Amino acid sequence: MSIIDELDPDELDPDELALADEHVITPTEAAEAAAWRPSPGGVAARIVVLVGLLLLVVAIPQIVPDIYTNVVSKAAIFGLVALSLNVIIGYTGQISLGHNAFVGVGAFGAGYALTKMDLPYAGALVVAALTGVVGALLIGVIALRLAGLYLALVTIAYAFLAQEVLFNLRSLTGGGAGQPAPRPSVFSSDVSYAYFCIAVLGVALAFDWRLTASKGGRAIQALRDDERVAASWGINVTSFKLLAFVISGIMAGIAGALFAGIEQLASRQDFPFLPLALTFLVMTVVGGAGNRWGVMQGGILFAILPTLLDRAHESFHFFPFTSVQVTWEPAIGALLLLLTLIFSPGGIAQQQRHLLNWLSFKRFNEPSHGGGISRGGMGARP
Amino acid sequence: MSTILEVLVNGLSFGAVYALVALGLALVYKATRILNFAQGEFGTVPAWIAYVVMTGFQIDGDPVIHRGRLWLATLIAIAVGALMGVLVNTLVIRRLASVSPVTSLVATAGVMTFLIAMQVIIFDPKGRRFPRYIDGGFHMPGTDVIVAWQNVLIIIVLAAAAALLALLFRTPPGVALLATAQEPFAAELQGVSVSAMRTLAWATAGALGAIAGMLGAGVFSSTFSPGLMTATFLIPAFVGAVLGGIASMVGAVAGGLILGITVAAANQIVRTWNLDVPGPPHLAVFLVLLIVLMLRPTGLFGQEA
Repeated sequence: MSIIDELDPDELDPDELALADEHVITPTEAAEAAAWRPSPGGVAARIVVLVGLLLLVVAIPQIVPDIYTNVVSKAAIFGLVALSLNVIIGYTGQISLGHNAFVGVGAFGAGYALTKMDLPYAGALVVAALTGVVGALLIGVIALRLAGLYLALVTIAYAFLAQEVLFNLRSLTGGGAGQPAPRPSVFSSDVSYAYFCIAVLGVALAFDWRLTASKGGRAIQALRDDERVAASWGINVTSFKLLAFVISGIMAGIAGALFAGIEQLASRQDFPFLPLALTFLVMTVVGGAGNRWGVMQGGILFAILPTLLDRAHESFHFFPFTSVQVTWEPAIGALLLLLTLIFSPGGIAQQQRHLLNWLSFKRFNEPSHGGGISRGGMGARP
Repeated sequence: MSTILEVLVNGLSFGAVYALVALGLALVYKATRILNFAQGEFGTVPAWIAYVVMTGFQIDGDPVIHRGRLWLATLIAIAVGALMGVLVNTLVIRRLASVSPVTSLVATAGVMTFLIAMQVIIFDPKGRRFPRYIDGGFHMPGTDVIVAWQNVLIIIVLAAAAALLALLFRTPPGVALLATAQEPFAAELQGVSVSAMRTLAWATAGALGAIAGMLGAGVFSSTFSPGLMTATFLIPAFVGAVLGGIASMVGAVAGGLILGITVAAANQIVRTWNLDVPGPPHLAVFLVLLIVLMLRPTGLFGQEA
């Protein structure tokens, strides 16, 4: 492979080794890292910062101006979508270019359940989650036969199918008028709905955390690194891949139901393939596929980016803000995606790795392996 | 009888554009094992450049199009297409930090999004007129089915492009290209410059894309808009390429044409029986993709999946 393999390790300058991109963690180092505990002062400092962050999250719906309360809800929902896509991209190493379809079908499913079937809100959430399961099974069954490239093609074709066919079924989506999707009565005000969305995001984060800590979650991640090796360790490739797709579909379906609640209307203009599906992809990759805190920040960033651009265009009367408008958002997103892929495949999470280490009660400069999109699967064939 | 003929004529006219885009996709895949989602924009961007050349750099409102510059604009467009292919390869694909196929696919999707977004910023998302090379058409003898000359031209161009590409793989550079795709290291040992071969493949795909763009932009009237080739032709072209066997030139042409006829038939079926099904072409494309992947993932002419 590389020249380094052929050289005698003794001749290598240790500084040069440290420059190598992927630092391989030796068992000794791993044991040291596991045994390391922060000092009492360190623990206190970390707890103070974490509590501060938590308070900030709790306060945000109150401190933003009223017109931006819905942007907070949208940010929480995009964070949820990013977590959903992360299960596919970050954990299984597959790709979905059609997440707008999953989210949109969830939104229409919830709207249909609420207005046409008169289900209670919890029932509508279940329906939205079920639409995610059905879509995920449909795509997942195909994914079992194909990896990588062909799967991407199927998801993109599904996205176009959803945009042109499913979202135009008058009985499901109410045609051009859209399908009303009222909020739950307890959370009918904008501020309380923002708290509801944040709470759902919190539940999803906790679920995602426990998932990756579970045997099933580790099995899914083993598939990403090498399917054949995983199979040889007795991991059922078929069921765990399907499980990952179903989990992702459920999260996306619920995100869709929440999204419909912002405007209390699911309308087909809300879920176009261009640019929404690509925004979802971009925020996951830019956030740092495989790292839940990274992708969540990616989701939040791209949820508020249009608002930020709009505000900057209105408030600053100097270059570049005089020409940069909200229409530039997809271009900026795509550029960030390319820059991430080329220079920093671990995305935001890689940039923040020291901070994230510190916050998770580890050493600030803990050695860590690189994350990012499709770390494994080098031998993947279409 | 005339209905069937109409379906065939319509189908072949879409299908020929699908096939032109599919040829570019198959070429890049054959040489570099990358699914190039930017192939559609290798068509739309050169077509916009040609548009700007023909209108004398007027882009606001509905500017006058100077038809006399059509051929000059075509040459410029093809050059721009080839240049875009080279640039995408040099600036993006070769620099990717991870070389897994999924990463390069996401990168080409990023290039596609970026190009479409820039078009929206410059030209606004609205439909415009784009000239055809030959206006008008002729009646099929004995029926009232009209065949547009533009569509005949597209079929001729398609046949020429497919023949040239098929011949390319019989020449020494073509064989070198194949060797590069199969085993870059061994090809390098045999004195083949892998990077030059990949540049050649991307440049050819870019030029092909530009030809598809110039022809496809005029197929429908007043609908030349940002991202046209991606929104209208890219997905069917991909499905056509997969149907034909993704790395096969003949397969790409056959797959594109078959898919065009399928789409036209789906439209006709919905119209004849007055079915309440939205978007029949997209439904047909998705079903064909599923059926092909389920029954024969290698495609009609492919040797490997």
